[in-house]
Amino acid sequence: MSLTKQLWLAIALVMLIAFSGSLLVSSLSARAYLQEQLLLKNMDNAISLASTLSQMPKDEVTIELLIASQFDTGHYESIRLSDPAGNVIVERASELRHGGAPDWFTRIFALRTTPGIAQVQDGWKQYGTLTLTSHVRYAYRELWTSTVRLFAWFIVAAVLTGIAGTLLLRLILRPLDGIVQQAEAIGARRFITATEPATPEFRAVVRAMNALARRVRQMLEDESQRLEQLRREAHHDTVTGLLNRGHFMARLLTVLGREDEDARGALVIARLLDLNELNRKHGWPVMDALIRRFAKALEGMGPRDAEWVPGRLNGSDFALLAPGCDDAAELARRIQEALAMIAREFGLDEECRLPAAATIYRHGDQLGRVLARVDAALAIALEHGSDNVEVAPSEQGLGERERRVDLKVWHERFDHALNPNHVKLHSYPVVDASGRFLHNECVARMRLERTSEWLHAGDFVPWLARLGNLPRLDDMVVDLALDRLQRGADDICINLSAQAMNDAVLVHRMASKLGAAGEHASRLWIEVPEHGAFQHMERFRVLCALLKPLGCRIGIEHVGHQVSRIGQLHDLGIDYIKIDAAFVKAIDENQANQVFLRGLAMIAHSIGLSTLAEGVDSAAELRTLVEIGFDGATGPAITAMQGSEATLS
Amino acid sequence: MTVLACTAGMVFALALPGPDFERARQLALARYGADAAATVTRWIELIERAGPLSEREKLSTVNAFFNRHVGFEDDAVVWGVRDYWSTPLEALGRGQGDCEDYSIGKYVTLGLMGVPVERMRITYVRAEAGLPGSGISQAHMVLAYYATAQAEPLILDNLITDVRPASRRPDLHPVFGFNSEGLWLGGTIAPAAGDPTARLSRWRDVLRRMTLEGLN
Repeated sequence: MSLTKQLWLAIALVMLIAFSGSLLVSSLSARAYLQEQLLLKNMDNAISLASTLSQMPKDEVTIELLIASQFDTGHYESIRLSDPAGNVIVERASELRHGGAPDWFTRIFALRTTPGIAQVQDGWKQYGTLTLTSHVRYAYRELWTSTVRLFAWFIVAAVLTGIAGTLLLRLILRPLDGIVQQAEAIGARRFITATEPATPEFRAVVRAMNALARRVRQMLEDESQRLEQLRREAHHDTVTGLLNRGHFMARLLTVLGREDEDARGALVIARLLDLNELNRKHGWPVMDALIRRFAKALEGMGPRDAEWVPGRLNGSDFALLAPGCDDAAELARRIQEALAMIAREFGLDEECRLPAAATIYRHGDQLGRVLARVDAALAIALEHGSDNVEVAPSEQGLGERERRVDLKVWHERFDHALNPNHVKLHSYPVVDASGRFLHNECVARMRLERTSEWLHAGDFVPWLARLGNLPRLDDMVVDLALDRLQRGADDICINLSAQAMNDAVLVHRMASKLGAAGEHASRLWIEVPEHGAFQHMERFRVLCALLKPLGCRIGIEHVGHQVSRIGQLHDLGIDYIKIDAAFVKAIDENQANQVFLRGLAMIAHSIGLSTLAEGVDSAAELRTLVEIGFDGATGPAITAMQGSEATLS
Repeated sequence: MTVLACTAGMVFALALPGPDFERARQLALARYGADAAATVTRWIELIERAGPLSEREKLSTVNAFFNRHVGFEDDAVVWGVRDYWSTPLEALGRGQGDCEDYSIGKYVTLGLMGVPVERMRITYVRAEAGLPGSGISQAHMVLAYYATAQAEPLILDNLITDVRPASRRPDLHPVFGFNSEGLWLGGTIAPAAGDPTARLSRWRDVLRRMTLEGLN
């Protein structure tokens, strides 16, 4: 029972005892007083009437009249005159017995009235005995009204005391709400800190819980740093800190399979020719310093919001994967110029030959084909001269002019295609460690005409992103998903783009849609990409605060590239993370990635997050993932296991 | 709590076996000295020996006893107040009293001897002073005894020593008679101490004081 309820009960009990006690005392003393007053009145009236009668002539009419007039004008129950032998001479009695109060009350507080008795004389002779009883109705009424009034006052007092007590209790216990919240959060493995309340007892509790939260956060911090270290050792070049060949290729491969705005972009490779010769001539330290500057330049190449990935493919090849970049030629030129400038700074501009080549990759491209295109372009560049830039041909437009044309075309296409009749959901199953269905991850499909082919998200989402129209698509996807859920579909997962997450209006609209969907919202899973979540942590926090209470589950996808920040997720209350396919590829053979993912899963579990793997290709990968503690997986192997891909219209 | 105590006290008082003469004697000794105590002792002996007497004899004895031992004096002289109703103990102790003190003394004494109260009336009378028909009257009080309800009463008066029937007292004109009947429950002649109403009338006041003196 809540404290407030207990308080009310206690007040009611105390008031009942106080009321019964004071009712008893006051009613009894009032009764005693009333009885006494009645007795005195009876006696006095009897004596004065008897005295008058004694002086009157004793004819029947006079006696009768006198008694009747006394009875009729006063408040009597009865007046009786009887002769010395006890025979009644005159009697007047009221039929009405009580009536001043309810019967049960008069039974409980019965007034014991004593009649007044006086002797009437006729000269020296006894004429009779006068017995007079006043009516008790008025006394009962008085007793009853005073009891009722007392009761009313007690009710008022009890209610006022209860209200005052409740307010006081609320004031006293206000810090407790915070404590309960914090305790519940910690129970759900969200290690939030709370402000310490003024009440010493509460302060001690909050201080202890804060200390716990701090220790857990410190531990998370340490663990994620250690994990980051591990990841760097496994995936990064030791000299430059850029991604090594193996992991760069894994990244490129997963990007080619993406169904989001990263599914289209540029790949640039620049080569420093004759590195061995230069090393010999100028020494390792100089050349390493030069190469490190190259790495810095590549890292600073991308716009702030985008997640461009630089890598060092081997000693002399530098690569930049630039999702979202459409002008490959311009990017290649910028890189070439930047690297040449650095060489000049080192005074090596004469000796350093820096050809560069680029291509545009798009959804559905084969990794080998993309690499072959760039290699071929690089060969042509070499032929044309040391500092040449060459752009590999592609089916798509490659330069700024083509991009403008494409944008215009897509803009017109979206004008009529971006509506619910032309958009549908396509789903991939996600299962837990034992193979049981968790949810269907849904991505959008779009057709440009009623009769045309359904386009893959990787084909049109990059253009929607460039036109800033992604929130509109995400909004539509939310509607489609909720519609499916309301028609009884199993759990559905939708991907929310960073653009949509940053759109406050859209996020609020989503909240009201989810609110309207009621319990169906609990079968909706919403995830945002890791890059977007960490880049816009505050927006992500708002999203979680708005949507989490509506029952849906929130997660982060493509996780792994920023593990050092994973500890920041501890107080958001999110439910799961999906690990990027780049770490999952061939996990059964990659010892370093196994160690990394094992640690990642452990940290995630310690703050209450499930870990799911993306892009699982084989049963062997799945086995390994389950072994190292993953809670679920998705990918081609899972889709195959679950039967043919289910399409939701 | 108080209410309960009162009730308990009343029950206790009602259950008391009878008058506490020893207490009355002690009080008389303490208040009025040895002479008064001797008078009171004689009075008590009178009551205790009255058992075998007839009611008529009791009347004469009591009438004579009070008329002998109490000298007539105005309340203003004895008590310093205009009107004071004394208890038998006070009247005998002082040896002085006025008409109502006689009447009360006789009434109580007869009551203690076992004469039923309903046969007695303390009666206010108008007494003609001087010769009959002279027209001069004074307020007076006597005790009337009714052998039966219809009987002519016998009058016990301090002005005349012997007990006479009312018809032989043409000088007295009755106004109003009363006794302690109907005043309180339980049949005792006086209420228990502590009943607040006892303070309210002279008659009841004297009865209350009597109880305190042990003459219940």
